[in-house]
Order: sequence, then C-alpha cells, then structure tokens
Amino acid sequence: MNLNQKIRNRALAALAALVVVLPVAAADDSDSIDVVRPVASMSTVEVGHASLLDTYLTPITYTGVNLRLGHQSMRAMKFSPERWVSRLEAGIDYDNVQNMVGNNTMHSLMVEGRWAMMRRYRDVFTTGLQLMAGGMAQLRGGAIYDPANSNNVVAVKIHPSVGLAGAAVYGTRIGSKPLTLSCHVSLPVIGAFFSPDYDESYYEIYLGNRSGLVHAGWWGNRFDMDTQIAADIHLGETVLRLGYRNRIERSWVSNINTRITTHALVLGIGGEFLGIGRKGLSSNARIISSIY
Amino acid sequence: MKQLWIILLLVVVTLLTACHDTEEWNNDPYGNFDALWTALDEHYSFFEYKDIDWNEVRARYRTKLTPGMTQGELFDLCSTMLKELRDGHTNLIASHDVSRYWIWEQYPLNYDERIIDEHYLNFDYRRACGIKYQILSSNFGYMYYGDFSTNIGEGNLDQILSYLSTADGLVIDVRSNGGGFLQNVETLVGRFIDGRIHAGSITHKNGPGHNDFAEPYDYYFEPTKNHIHYLKPVVVLANRGSFSATNNFVSIMKSLPNVTIVGDTTGGGCGLPFTSELPNGWRVRFSAAPICDAQGNLTEFGVAPDVKVDQTADDTARGHDTLLDSALQILAQKH
Repeated sequence: MNLNQKIRNRALAALAALVVVLPVAAADDSDSIDVVRPVASMSTVEVGHASLLDTYLTPITYTGVNLRLGHQSMRAMKFSPERWVSRLEAGIDYDNVQNMVGNNTMHSLMVEGRWAMMRRYRDVFTTGLQLMAGGMAQLRGGAIYDPANSNNVVAVKIHPSVGLAGAAVYGTRIGSKPLTLSCHVSLPVIGAFFSPDYDESYYEIYLGNRSGLVHAGWWGNRFDMDTQIAADIHLGETVLRLGYRNRIERSWVSNINTRITTHALVLGIGGEFLGIGRKGLSSNARIISSIY
Repeated sequence: MKQLWIILLLVVVTLLTACHDTEEWNNDPYGNFDALWTALDEHYSFFEYKDIDWNEVRARYRTKLTPGMTQGELFDLCSTMLKELRDGHTNLIASHDVSRYWIWEQYPLNYDERIIDEHYLNFDYRRACGIKYQILSSNFGYMYYGDFSTNIGEGNLDQILSYLSTADGLVIDVRSNGGGFLQNVETLVGRFIDGRIHAGSITHKNGPGHNDFAEPYDYYFEPTKNHIHYLKPVVVLANRGSFSATNNFVSIMKSLPNVTIVGDTTGGGCGLPFTSELPNGWRVRFSAAPICDAQGNLTEFGVAPDVKVDQTADDTARGHDTLLDSALQILAQKH
C-alpha cells in the first residue's frame, strides 16, 4: 500500500465516521424520526416613509413613500431542530421620493433575499421568551433613478454580504388568542458592493472600463441594518401580523455618500404549514415549531 | 472587561466612518448660490484646462447677493457666473429659463437646410431614423443627421448604406447637430471602418479636488459585424453648431484615412455632462467626464476641419451651399 492509498483509505474512514455520527448528532433533540418541522410563513405589505440621499445623483435629501412586498419564513433546522432555526426573507422595495421643493421625483427599486441560520435559546430570562442569534447571507440590489439628470441618471446598487442575524420571540396571549411578539434584526458585516467612481459615467463602464467598480464592504464604508418588530395574533390557523420595519443603509465610498432610511408599517398574513404530504401526521410525531 | 470596551469603541468608530455627513444649504439666495458654486467646484472638470480661478469667481459674484433678491435676479446672477466657464454643456435649469453658453451663436451659421432641400435634393429625399439621404445628380451620396439623440437602428443604417452603395463617395452632414447619445457615434462610425480603431480616451473626476482625475481609459471601436459598410471616400461637413456627441463623432472620423472634414471648427463640448441640484429645485448641468481624441487632446473648444470653408453671401444668393460644393469637389478629386 503506497502513501496515496493510505491517505485515501483514511479519508474514506473519516467520511464513513461522519456519515455515521452526523445522524446521531442530528437526532440529539429529536429522539424520533417523526419530527415535523412546520414552516412559519408570513407575507407582508409594508407602507412607510423613506428618506434617500445618494450624492452620485444629487446632494439633496429626498423624502417620500416606501412600499414593500415581503415574505418571511422560518423553520427549525433538520440537523438540530430544537436548537437551530433558519429564516428566509425576500422583499421588493419601491421608494417614491421628492426633493424639498417638490419639483422632482426619484424612484428607487430594490430587491433582496436573505437567509439566516440562528441558534435558539428557550425561556431566557422568563418563560416563553426565545432568543436567537446566528449568521446570515444577503443579496440586495436595484437602482435609484433620477429622471432629471443627464449622464448620472441612475445609481445601480448590488450588495452581497454576510453578517449577523438575531431574533427575540415572546409567546403570550391576548384574551383567548395566542399572541407572538417578535423582533428580527439583520446586520450585514462584510461583503462586496458595486459603485462607480466619484464622477464616473456608466458610458465609461459601457466602453469597457470595469476597474474599481467592486468594493469590499465593511462597517468602515458601509453599514446596513434591517429591524422588524411584529405582533402576530393567531386566529385559528391564520396568523395576522401588525408590525414596524426600520431599515438603515449608509455607505461612503469614492466620495459618494449614500444614506437611506425607511420606517414602515407592516401588515401581514401567514400561518404555520406542516408540509407532511400524503402520509399524514403519525401518532408519534413530534412537532417542533421554529417560532411559536 | 477592558478588551470588551476597546472592541466596542472600535465598532463605534468604524460605524462613524460609514456614516458621513453631506453639506446642506438653506433655500435662500446665499444657500442656493453656495450650493451651485460648490457643485461646480467639486465636479466641474476643466478649471485647470481653462485657467479659471473659481475662488476668485465666487468672491466676485457672492458680493452681489442680497437677502431679498428675487428668484429671477438670482437666476441671472448665477447664469452670468456660469458663463465664466465658457462651456456649452453648462446650464442652469429653472422652471422659467435655461441659461446657456452657446459659442456658435457668435460664428457664421454655415448651414441653410432650405438651400440643400431645394437646390440639391429638389425636395426629393429619403428619411430613416432621423437621417435624410439621397444620391445627388453628381452621383455622390448625401446624408444629413441632425440630432444624435435620435437613435440609429442598424437595420435602418443597412437600408441607407445599401441605397447609397452605388454612389462614388458620400457626404455626411452633421452641421448644427447639437449632440445626443454617444452610443449613436459608435453605431455610425462602425459602418465606415474596416478594422479596430483607437477612438480616444475617457476619464472622470475621482474626487472633489480640481485635479482629481482617474487615469484616462483608452477606448476602441470595431467595425459593425454582419452589416453593410461604406469604405469609399467620405467628407464630413461640420460647423460651430456641431457640438458634444457630434464633436466627438467629427474627432473620430477625422482620424480615418478616407475621411475629410470640411467646414468650420466644431462647437466643442468634450466633457460628458453630469447634473446636480440646488435647494430651490434648480438643476445645474456641467462637464464632468472629459473625452480626449485619439491623440490625447481635449476637444472642448472644437475640432478644426481639414478644409476650412465658410458659406459666402454670393453662394447663398445663388442657392448654393459653399461647404457642400467644396465637399463634392473633394470627392470628385478623390474619385
């Protein structure tokens, strides 16, 4: 047996050990194979106030209306459903903002998707309070359009990032109805983002000059935070959400200053979906909710 | 515990660097004037090239401000200040007026559309995608393109050049074409080259200092693939009204071996304009990204013709276009 074969055999042995050990570890919190992990799903419509400054387009701060369609789903993770929760969020934001004197309107359209994986701690400080913390990956992109401009008519935004995610969830009752209070936070830490240079035109980029367009993003040149506070009232299998979302986006690169802030009222409808298919729920099934 | 505080302090410091304040001005004569002056100070690209002391300009004009001046008075004052830049791409745009510095108003017009239509085209011409074209009686082609803002379709251009392909030479008339989209320059030039050409270079401000410029980026044009080309002798007619994108077109065509530029120096305008805004909602447009010709020269004050020709009064009286006649003579000599 030569050295390569020895290495290969040891690698196969290690892999086999992992295959054997991982399911055992995964079964740590769920001593039955009939663990059901319902998806807590919520679709939202959000209306609020937007404040937008992008000095590539204008040195004037514009204010106006923020509209958002969003979706959030949470689920206990398969490998350790009692301890780990995933959160998937997607949204599309439209800002319709005017300058101070109201003679120009800018339009901002942003799309984002975000996936977080968080460790869950139950009954922290008080019974019913769950705290979650972990990491997340996010992709956000879109454009801000100023129709009154010439060659700086649009500011394109693309921002993949990874960062921190957290949530606090408290279950209580209002009358006979279950009520869930929650706070969800997403905080990108590092990533990359697209930005032209100070007065670089998109025509120059079109001609082929692609240097210096992608910037490493960190809290020194870019800061984003998305916070949502929500009250979910359970009406049978339906859950209605009333909440508030705050989004802060700051960046400073190539002497271009971007400051976007939104405050929005959140209205949502959703529920928990078991997703057990045709087999139905077995008698020894154990339901592990991600949030409720 | 001490380490925790240091980490927290570092986090706060880094957050502060991402959050950067931008200067805000009041919506009064002083605030609007300062916003205008600062926008130009930080973004305008030809201060050094034109030897303009912008601080001196500010001092000279700011003393003329009064707290109670009307918007009209402020507009006139700001417009006069902007004319110090001697730049056709610089405009102050308000709801009641647009200030301008149009240098070609001081020069001979050198173009009369009626003379061409009546005495050369006999009111019989084709028109596609903003291009008027016909084969003249001398069997030279003529096409007039009056606005680079009108997009040129490749299919339209195929039709035009196919029709003109039997002509022994071609006059491309871009007189009084005030510019438009630079993409149309590439579309048009691509039909008159048979290989990759160095079209010029482009740069941009990379900071607010007057001399903060990025390295110039050389750009190239390729022949348009799978479309009709015209490689016979070409004359481009230009006047002082050939501005901005048209100025760019003429500067590129001038570098081609089979092309002769006839007429007057073009109007210039080689800075790609950006727009900024004042607190009162007025817009200011200005040159932000200079484009140089293939030799690395700025053409802000125009491209000189290969053959300088002005319209004569006698020719006008006879219904002749002096510049077009010169172009046809040049083509006849090359034929």
